[in-house]
Amino acid sequence: MRGAYKFNQQLQLINAIKDNNSIGLKAFYMANYPKIETFVIKNSGSKAHAKDIYQEAFIALWNNVRNGSFTPDNDSALQGYLYQISKNKWLDVLRSKRFKSTQPLTEERSLFLKQDDEPYDDSEETKKLHLTMEAFKNLGEPCKGLLKTFYFEKKSLREIASEMAIEETSLRNKKYRCMEKLRSIVLTSNY
Amino acid sequence: MKNSNHISQVVLESVERHLNNTMSKQEALDFELKLSESPEFRRQVKDIESLVLGIENQSLKERLNEFHKELPENHNKNYSDNTTAKVPWGKIAAAILVFLAIGGFWWYHTPQNERLYAEYFSPDPGLPTTMSSTSQFDFYDAMVDYKQGNYKTAIEKWEALTVENDTLDYFLGVAYLADKQEKNAIPFLEKSTRNTSFPLLSDAHYYLGLAYLKEGNLKLAKKNLRSSSTENSQTLLSKLGNNP
Repeated sequence: MRGAYKFNQQLQLINAIKDNNSIGLKAFYMANYPKIETFVIKNSGSKAHAKDIYQEAFIALWNNVRNGSFTPDNDSALQGYLYQISKNKWLDVLRSKRFKSTQPLTEERSLFLKQDDEPYDDSEETKKLHLTMEAFKNLGEPCKGLLKTFYFEKKSLREIASEMAIEETSLRNKKYRCMEKLRSIVLTSNY
Repeated sequence: MKNSNHISQVVLESVERHLNNTMSKQEALDFELKLSESPEFRRQVKDIESLVLGIENQSLKERLNEFHKELPENHNKNYSDNTTAKVPWGKIAAAILVFLAIGGFWWYHTPQNERLYAEYFSPDPGLPTTMSSTSQFDFYDAMVDYKQGNYKTAIEKWEALTVENDTLDYFLGVAYLADKQEKNAIPFLEKSTRNTSFPLLSDAHYYLGLAYLKEGNLKLAKKNLRSSSTENSQTLLSKLGNNP
């Protein structure tokens, strides 16, 4: 009986990702981390490496589910996909020059490094995304909080206005000005 | 992104509606038409989309860091962290000794039944909680607590419901068991096994068997395990010696 629910759970997970539902995202995050930490640590990494790789993979999965380039086709597809991205990302790190130069390369390890290749994503789009993320990270309050609540948590202007006890119209203008501010920061940074 | 001209509030808000799929049919058609006709409009829309994507990605990143802080600290403790230079062998040896001592103490001082219980008990994974469903909201609201391991909260919420049903009795029973309150679990699990067409009947008998095992009532434990067709109950029965 429980098996029948699993596929349904994948769909719920997809919905949680699309709505940025914190409970769903958190449960998924917590459940899948240990396996990836084990993998990274077994393969010459540290806990800090594991955390970085896992979060990068999680964000990649989130983006791919959002833009429709990944849809689950079985009852553990998302979990498997997350593991696969993490693994590939960690293999990329191991292959990278900086990492190799700090680690002695044994025969066993060099064989391991030759497994499945994935090209490093260095496109304009990616650069632009990182630039925007950096600009938003340092945007400062109250703009950062407002944009986050509206665009990420997807609260309506009405809800936010009533929580902040201000007029909806003035909140709308605020949000517009904040977006302009963010845009001008992105435009003035070099990429 | 070109700095050439400002993006108006009207454009910003129409892109928001476009992203949320809240445009009317007519507006969506006009929007598409404008996109195909004006390169300037296309660039503005792309600019806004990339801003929103950046906001979401960074917000998610910060949220993930919050999640990470809540992970239980010491799983994988047997691997030493690469950033710590020396492996503290002395500490590890001491820890192993303490562990063996406690383990040994536990092994010799815990009755066989409790050991088997600890080996075989893991809480039911729970039912999927559909976010959109509003009927039976309270039941599923508590299910979220149950799944997160907040058994006390789940029990409180479920106990407050006035409806009578097998599934509710079953999950109350399992939640009490998971919360180490076998005495309270038994009556609920007993109730849930009364209806022979209950879809989780086999699981209910299994957990009831475990509850009796923990209580030390071997006779009722075996009786219930025999009524359950789950794989675990069969292996557990064979360990208990399958005689009445």
